[in-house]
Amino acid sequence: MSSPRDPYEHGGGPARREAFDVVVLRQDGPGKPSYWERHRVAYEPDMNVISVLQRIAANARTAEGKPVAPIAWECNCLEEVCGACTMVINRRVRQACTALVDRLLDEHPGQIELRPMSKFPVIRDLVVDRSRMFETLKKIRAWLPVDSYLDMGPGPRQSQDNQELAYVLSKCMTCGCCLEACPQYVKIELQRQPGETDEQFDQRQKAAFDRGFLGAFAIAQIDLFNTNPIGEMTSRERLDALVAEGGIQVCGNAQNCVRVCPKEIPLTRSIARAGRIATRHVLKRWFDR
Amino acid sequence: MEANCLAPSLGRYEFVLRRLHSLTGLMPIGGYLAFHLLTNASIIDGVEVYQRRADQIHELGVTTVVLLLEWPIIFIPILFHGILGIVIVSRGKRNVADYPFIGNIRYTLQRWTGVIAFLFIIWHVFHMHGWFKASWWVENVVRPLGGGRFDPHNAYTAAQAIQESVWVQAMFFVGVLASVYHFANGLWTMGITWGVWTSPRAQRWANVPCAAVGVFLACAGVAALIGMLVADKPGAGQVPPVQTQDSRIPTPTASVPSPVEFANPARIEVSRFPSSPPQRAGRTT
Repeated sequence: MSSPRDPYEHGGGPARREAFDVVVLRQDGPGKPSYWERHRVAYEPDMNVISVLQRIAANARTAEGKPVAPIAWECNCLEEVCGACTMVINRRVRQACTALVDRLLDEHPGQIELRPMSKFPVIRDLVVDRSRMFETLKKIRAWLPVDSYLDMGPGPRQSQDNQELAYVLSKCMTCGCCLEACPQYVKIELQRQPGETDEQFDQRQKAAFDRGFLGAFAIAQIDLFNTNPIGEMTSRERLDALVAEGGIQVCGNAQNCVRVCPKEIPLTRSIARAGRIATRHVLKRWFDR
Repeated sequence: MEANCLAPSLGRYEFVLRRLHSLTGLMPIGGYLAFHLLTNASIIDGVEVYQRRADQIHELGVTTVVLLLEWPIIFIPILFHGILGIVIVSRGKRNVADYPFIGNIRYTLQRWTGVIAFLFIIWHVFHMHGWFKASWWVENVVRPLGGGRFDPHNAYTAAQAIQESVWVQAMFFVGVLASVYHFANGLWTMGITWGVWTSPRAQRWANVPCAAVGVFLACAGVAALIGMLVADKPGAGQVPPVQTQDSRIPTPTASVPSPVEFANPARIEVSRFPSSPPQRAGRTT
């Protein structure tokens, strides 16, 4: 690969990069201790972190040559629309599929560091349990209630402005980048108690999730569904969740969320709008009931 | 559960408490900060001007100042804001090393300056005021520990207490600037919290007035400190007796009330003076 120059190559060609190290923070199971492991990967042009992980799995040996179990990771769409492969790469949260090796080696020559997201319980290696996010979506009722036995006719029309805002907000893929980078969002990981059934554990975990911070993605989803003319009809339920424990008040305005969001969702705008509405909602609850 | 265990849950009152936290930061605390720094900056025009400002405030009477102003609108809001602030700080997980964005740096500084300002204010109020004015407290705790230095009827005592040690000066410098940053940046985040500025563009522009308030108050604070440092003893050569002595040792005389007497609301009737103490009459320079 000499010419034409690849737009993603900044100076370092294959001549310079024959191989690079990948250090991975591994964990054998939930609640187990984590440990670092070094792998050596032969350089190929146009790699992303997924293809790096595939090479590591095919090799299944550390840089020292010790045979190890392949690293567990998740991926699905490979085009940054599903969020499954979100992990912390070179200390910054992003999707593995769009983390290009050439750029990563430019940032940090010779080595790529991979960790699981730190705000969710690790299942194994780079696989985390993001079910808290889905519980949050249920808590804020992030859907339009249109199920009915009756034909309710066509929905109300939406303004062009609303449509444009809704489109941007609907790009959220629940990847969790905004939460990983958020200094106010803290991990909730419960240990199973002896003799506890699955149902009891789930219930306890749900209760703990319920009291934790919603996070930027959820506040943007409240904005999305409350500005929809049909969603607006049930906006009170979402606003109740917005001002409950773990609601918008936990936000500390660090605004990391908007900086790391891969879909460039205007999260801080939704947060400020939600802040205005939340105050009004609480005052209304006090004086209008 | 990680980190969450550190802080008590605010439960269903979390929203209201956080909104009150935000509100008290502006009023009365922010308002008082501005008033306090601007009042103290008047010392740059001389101790006499500063004394007049102190007299204006203390004209209200000890009962009014202590019971209506100090505790309800200064001390209690600061304690509420500070204690809840520490709960908030202990709940966060700062990550500025991994995400060194300007907003994150400001967020982290907001937490650090908040803690510094709260500790500074606790010390500062003890150092100048003594926290409580009950005479047994003043005599047995405040004086032996070198606190309660400010006597509003001899406002030069504030400058004297600051001139004493370079450590005191350093603590004032750091404490004042931390408080001003915390207030100015807090104004900006408050605008987001209450939804005054919502779009990124509006939030960018909102930095301008908040920074202006911050720079203005920082200048006032530094001016006050410089004024305190360069302040001369009023009326050198005709120094009133109370100022020649160590102000920590109160010596009640027939004409000059000791700080203790002034401090004790129970003894107001005894210690109140119809006009300014006679010593100050000859203090014009």
